[in-house]
Parts: sequence; C-alpha cells; structure tokens
Amino acid sequence: MKSVMEILTEIRPEFDFAASSDFIADGMLDSFDMVTLVSALDKNWGISIQGTDIVPENFQNLQTIESLLRKNGAQP
Amino acid sequence: MIQIQTPDQVFDAIQKAKAGATAFCTNFFPVESKLKSWIEHGELFAELRNGATFFLRKDRDFLRLYFCAADVAVLRQEITAWPGLKTERVITDLVGNESSLRNMQSALEPAGFRRHTQLVRLARTGRPESVNGNLPVSFAREADGGAVLELIENAFDRYGEQLPMLYEIEQAIEGRQILTAWRDGELAGLLFFETQGLASTVRFWAVAEKFRDLKTGSALMRQYLKIHDSVRRFTLWVNASNENAIRKYRHFGYAPDGLTDYVLSSGLISK
Repeated sequence: MKSVMEILTEIRPEFDFAASSDFIADGMLDSFDMVTLVSALDKNWGISIQGTDIVPENFQNLQTIESLLRKNGAQP
Repeated sequence: MIQIQTPDQVFDAIQKAKAGATAFCTNFFPVESKLKSWIEHGELFAELRNGATFFLRKDRDFLRLYFCAADVAVLRQEITAWPGLKTERVITDLVGNESSLRNMQSALEPAGFRRHTQLVRLARTGRPESVNGNLPVSFAREADGGAVLELIENAFDRYGEQLPMLYEIEQAIEGRQILTAWRDGELAGLLFFETQGLASTVRFWAVAEKFRDLKTGSALMRQYLKIHDSVRRFTLWVNASNENAIRKYRHFGYAPDGLTDYVLSSGLISK
C-alpha cells in the first residue's frame, strides 16, 4: 500500500509536498488534481470518499488528507 | 430559476445535489474569488431540481451552464426535463480524461447539446529557460482595458474559450497579470496569466494580425517565463484544432498532460 505522500508525488512529481503546509495556496493541487487524488486514495485504501468531502479544505496538507481518509474508514 | 445573492446559497445548492449521491458528477469547480465576483455582478443563477442543481452564468449573449448531479442518469433526466433551458443559448464545459467525458456528453445530448469545440491542456514543468536582454514588453496599464478586451475578443472564440469580461480584465491589470507589447501606439500583443503559488496558467496569449511575424508573441512568452522563475508548473488550455498555437507552445516546452475539455453548445448556438 502506498503512503499519501507517495500518491501526491506520483500525481505532481515536480513539487516537494513535504515543504508545504498549504498545497492549495502554494498552487500544488488544482481542482482537477483533487479529483485525480480522490480516485487514487479510493483505490489505494478500498474506500469511496463522499462527494461532499471533495472540497479544498480537505486537501490543504498531509494532516487534512489523512483526517479525510480516517473519516471515510481508512487507516493511513 | 433564482438569482444567486451569496456564496452560501451556492454551497447549499450544491449540497442538495450531493446529499445521498453515490456517483456525484459535476463540472462546477468554482474558485471563491471568482464566485464572489460573478455574484457581485449579478451574473449567477441557479435551478434546483430533484437530485440535480444547475447554475447558469451570464456571459455576453449566452449562458454558461454548470451542473451538480447525484449521478449521470439523474443529470440526463433532469436536464432533459428542464423546459427553461430549451429557449436559451447555452454553453457547457466537460473537463477530464477523454475516456471519462463521453458518458457525460451522452447524458447532455438528449437536451440538445452538441460538441462545439475541444480544448486540451498543456503543461510545462521545470524551471524556465534563462532570458536576457531588454524586451519591449510591459504590464498593462489601467487605461489599456478596452484595447486588451478588443484583442482578446478578436483572437478567440467567445463560446469556446471563456473570455473575460471588462471588469475581470481591469482586476487582472490591477493584479499585474497582463503583459502587453505595443508597436506604433497600438496594442500588438498580450499575455494574460494567473499565478497561484508555484503554479501559473496562461489564459490568453495573442498577437494582433497586423503585427504577426515580428516575434511579438515570443517576446511576451519569454518575459512571462522570466518573471516566473520560481514557478514549478505551467499550464494552459488551447483549442485542440489550433495546430499553429500548439506548435508555438511546444517550442516553449509545453506538452499535452492528458486533460481534455469538451465544449458543448445547445441547439440555439451555431458553430
């Protein structure tokens, strides 16, 4: 199973996600990337993230993404 | 149909469509600042239906349609059953990987939508090339808004390429997002961009017809890359059939990144 950081790096290899506390403000993820990320997270953890959760606040940094995963039943 | 007065109305309307959705589908990814601007200018309307919410934004002489639906079947059912839509000139965009878009397009076809054009996204990663020398390029000034709008409207398809309104150009000038090149007192070319952190998007890159072949476009692009030397990701959308533009973008290191935009028009808009 991949880590969240590995998935982020696969989607946007040009960015250093570990150096950012706000992926959205830093321009690292746009709305289309969020949709791609949700598909990858769903597949990796065998879950289905709710449409209501696909909002920028949930993708701001590693902590918010991991919280989102836990909310949807995954153990990151 | 109601006129939207606050961003909260938008989020509530989206939530209604999302409630209980198992395969939520949408083409609405609003950036909050733009949403507020549309509302302030009285451009945004909503139609709430069973399991689907539709937003319409006034754009020149037509409307742009955005949808949020519980799934594609609900989208097809509700858009087909919405009588108000049939009398309007409407454009809508479907964005994603090409294979994923056909399903949504087929849901909109019974309501009279047909492919108007297709855009592809190009991306350029890594540092820009170093650029030297004084280039005849400067940021647009407050008084340039009208000339900028005229060049954009002459160079691009208003249905296919989401042209800015004058107030958006004025905001972009204030934010130093438009580079211009002038020759003989006329606006020869422009490059309109949006930068967020480490990512930057070219929205429009245009050279007036009489000033082509004078390397004006290259000067604008080089200056754009020069002032974005800390940016790590450059993107833009281009008409898939515009081979000339794509060739120029490739020259500056851009290449397709796999994302496509199907621009669909309703029956009242001809090609």
